[in-house]
Amino acid sequence: MSQSLRPYLATVRASLQAALCLQDFSSQLVERHNRPEIEAQKTVEAILNPMMISRNENERILIETSVNSIRLSLKIKQVDDIETILVSKFTRFLMSRAENFFILRRVPVQGYDISFLITNFNTEVLIKEKLVDFIIEFMEDVDKEISEMKLFINARARFIAEAYLTPFD
Amino acid sequence: MLQLQNDNLLLKKTLTELVATPQLVDRIISDFDYTTFHLSTPEDKSKLLVSITSKSFKDIKQYDAINKLNQTYAEFQTEIVEPGYDYSIYVDLLSVAAKSPEDIELTINEISLLKRNLLAIPFKLAFKSYQEQAIKYDQSGIEPEPSSEIYEINYRDEEAIYIKPSFDRVTVIFSTVFKDETDKIFGKVFLQEFVDARKRAVQNAPQVLYSHKEPPLEVRNLIKYQADDKKGYVTFVLFPRHLTVQKQDNTINHIQLFRNYFHYHIKCSKAYMHSRMRFRVNQYLKVLNRAKPENEEVARKTASGRRFNSA
Repeated sequence: MSQSLRPYLATVRASLQAALCLQDFSSQLVERHNRPEIEAQKTVEAILNPMMISRNENERILIETSVNSIRLSLKIKQVDDIETILVSKFTRFLMSRAENFFILRRVPVQGYDISFLITNFNTEVLIKEKLVDFIIEFMEDVDKEISEMKLFINARARFIAEAYLTPFD
Repeated sequence: MLQLQNDNLLLKKTLTELVATPQLVDRIISDFDYTTFHLSTPEDKSKLLVSITSKSFKDIKQYDAINKLNQTYAEFQTEIVEPGYDYSIYVDLLSVAAKSPEDIELTINEISLLKRNLLAIPFKLAFKSYQEQAIKYDQSGIEPEPSSEIYEINYRDEEAIYIKPSFDRVTVIFSTVFKDETDKIFGKVFLQEFVDARKRAVQNAPQVLYSHKEPPLEVRNLIKYQADDKKGYVTFVLFPRHLTVQKQDNTINHIQLFRNYFHYHIKCSKAYMHSRMRFRVNQYLKVLNRAKPENEEVARKTASGRRFNSA
């Protein structure tokens, strides 16, 4: 793990643990409704201050908190065209399977690549620590995966090019 | 399967079967670049009509294609051309079957290379023109004026091959279209490696150049084109070493299939990425499922159905 990644992840972990302090909260606008306040954005007093943690200009996480839900949005590092394509393919792949990932949002928040929404109902059935672990592991892994795929494409392209050009000799 | 084959495997297999046991057939076989073969037995089950249609034919036709193909397939030459097809040969299966096993194989190979032989015609002409110019240059020592001679083959809807002979080289230019953004970016990575491969590993390979959007200068004035963001041009510079009489056929075989090879491998990489992502998503799912608490112990019952009291 690189030098700057460790404190970044440690900060994210601490912030998430603090933010994941959720309780049931019935909607104050519609009777018998219970909605994630961070998505509804209607009840101002239920929404807390958002925080953004950035590692550099390309990588950051936005944690928006409210009384009964938090939304975290990730911006994944994209240096060039290939990485952009790979990130968009990968996140699309994940988000089209959002049903299985019960905390994944189908659409990312604008300006970010992928978003998660954790409500108090999630934290009631799931172990909070492990949820945080998942987010951290995801952040750690996704960069690795993207750069591995990129390396693979380059290696493959090189092999293919040589295989094509050799028989000319 | 790394390299693509020049012959058509299905055509070859069908022919082998038919030579062994003639029977009535009516079969359509397709190949790359909108090429279609039609195998039929209009009169008799021992007489096989093989027809080919290809998008490139209307361009190749002007290079005396029919006569050239008739030379190659003299044995099976026929006056008829099946309606809807560009060229036909009429094969007498009994006379083929009467040949020695090696000859049968040779004949079948030759027929299954029909598409390759069709597309090879302009290449052969260009190579010939190069040889003439090279000899002239050798004798006079004067560099000939760059001619505007160019062979253009529109072999797909928006894609073409341009062949330009010169006194010391033959330039083959492929225009290619990338259907979507991913293809375009993958294509760029691949082409970059094609360009670099020569510097690194295969010094004797033809030089490869790549230009995006605009055709290279050699042909810019000779062809009709529109600047198109989706389009790319790949140039192969064939040097005299690739154009010797012994190597010509190998070079033609190989360069013809460039576009197919290139796009095929882009698709392969995409497929691999896809399966890799699928695997990775499953792994994440496992990590996430760890967050689910272990199943609480199910209330145990005695054999008679009575429950234990926990308190």
